[in-house]
Amino acid sequence: MSPQILVDGLIAGSMIGLGAIGVTLTYSILRFANFAHGDYLAWGAYFALALSGALGSLAGGALAAPIGPFSFGWSLPLAALAATALTAGLALLVDALLFGPLRRRGSSVIILVMASFGAALTLRSLLEFTFTSKPFYYTGELQIAVRFAGMRATPDQLLSLAVALVLVILVHLLLTRTAIGREMRAVAENPGLAGVAGVDVRRVVRTVWALGAVLACMAGVMAGLLIQIRPQMGLDLLLPLFAAAILGGIGSVPGAMLAGLIVGVGEAATVAVVGAQWRAAVAFVILVAILLLRPQGLFGRSDG
Amino acid sequence: MTDAVLATRGLVAGYEPDLPIVRGVDLAVARGDFLVLLGPNGAGKSTLVKAITGLVSIHAGSVTLDGAEISTSPIHEKVRHGLAFVPQTENVFTTLSIEDNLRLAAQVLPRPGRAGRIAALYAMFPDLAARPRTRAGALSGGQRQMLAVARALVVEPRVLILDEPSAGLSPKVVTEVFARLAAINATGVTTILVEQNVRAALATAASRSGRAAILVEGRIAHEGPAATLADDPIVAELYLGARREPEPAA
Repeated sequence: MSPQILVDGLIAGSMIGLGAIGVTLTYSILRFANFAHGDYLAWGAYFALALSGALGSLAGGALAAPIGPFSFGWSLPLAALAATALTAGLALLVDALLFGPLRRRGSSVIILVMASFGAALTLRSLLEFTFTSKPFYYTGELQIAVRFAGMRATPDQLLSLAVALVLVILVHLLLTRTAIGREMRAVAENPGLAGVAGVDVRRVVRTVWALGAVLACMAGVMAGLLIQIRPQMGLDLLLPLFAAAILGGIGSVPGAMLAGLIVGVGEAATVAVVGAQWRAAVAFVILVAILLLRPQGLFGRSDG
Repeated sequence: MTDAVLATRGLVAGYEPDLPIVRGVDLAVARGDFLVLLGPNGAGKSTLVKAITGLVSIHAGSVTLDGAEISTSPIHEKVRHGLAFVPQTENVFTTLSIEDNLRLAAQVLPRPGRAGRIAALYAMFPDLAARPRTRAGALSGGQRQMLAVARALVVEPRVLILDEPSAGLSPKVVTEVFARLAAINATGVTTILVEQNVRAALATAASRSGRAAILVEGRIAHEGPAATLADDPIVAELYLGARREPEPAA
């Protein structure tokens, strides 16, 4: 395999991995597949777009001037930070208006999944209504790729990869080393017992929504920075996100990230070897294969 | 009973709104008491304690803890108020270590007291202290039960409720578990024990001068001192498997 395929795959895979962590966390704790997760990613990208545009026009455009080798100014990282909060707020709002009432009513998993389809369509339509379907970019700056060991990557791509890895480590530490992480693992295993053990399960659920949305937002900003921003961007990433979440093993953060990278490299290899038109098939093939051969995923536990 | 630490009044509860399993239970448990809840399968024993702890919906009636109404409080709030529950099955977090099971429960306590409380429980359960990093899923049935009890005791509860802690355990481990429960009750923790192992449960309650209540079809049919109920021939025949001697032929 060409080293360039590996680099391209790892960069794309880091975005998939970040999104898949949100999918795997919400799936393991709320016990349903949230098909609106991709749209949180798109909303995060648009929140950052709107905010970076506003910040960029402040201070005589000083915040929009590119930072060092990167294509963007300080307006984008600042906007991305604020966008994570807004995306978390959006996820909590959707939960408060839609999923929460359904859970309290004791709705079945299929009802929740169908509701998430509805939420996804609504969120996507709202984006299209507000921003149109025209693609946007955070920056118009051109970047020169850096050469290393026979491979090429732009500074933006390398930064995105580094940010993704740092976020994965932080989430892993949050889950394994903190009180809220312990509570999240407890609720994932047995919500009733968690309540009996004194855990405020509703608070944990809110935390999971917020954390998943923050990661989705970051993945969306990365996708917007490296590719483009479109209302359909979340939908396009949905299948790879679910493939990575299931391949990694539901509930496993390192598994979701590793699986995201595998899906990304698989897509890059397919584009290079077979053709770009087959890219979308990779996630589907991985998803079907893992469900048939190892449904618990790479790091999941078998129920048997 | 005026000094009841836990009381239910007209409690109606069940899994479906129109299908109550607990049908109007009045119960008062005095501070430090050891109460055994007995009854045939399906009588509503487990449903009653789950309704008290908040795991099953209450349709009517009230639950008070030290006089405060708690029937509508969220489950975690009841724990904070001193009501601890050990379910019959799935009563530990198998994916967490022994230490993490205890630390999870200790999060209810003020931060400065947590480590000391866990150390006190390790002193009470030395088997657990020997391997705090072991995943609870790797423990034997008896060890899991001990961990479940230790987890419930972390919050220094006023009332400890256990749902069939002897289920699936060997007779030797059952004896050990019940001896431990008697010792915990002796420290002043009000104990409510749902059990199918009637003889052992009544003997344990009797050793603590405790009481027993028998639930039949969601209502309390008999109630009295555990020692008396153990010797009651009707109770013995109905619930202890004893047979009355046939009347001598005239």
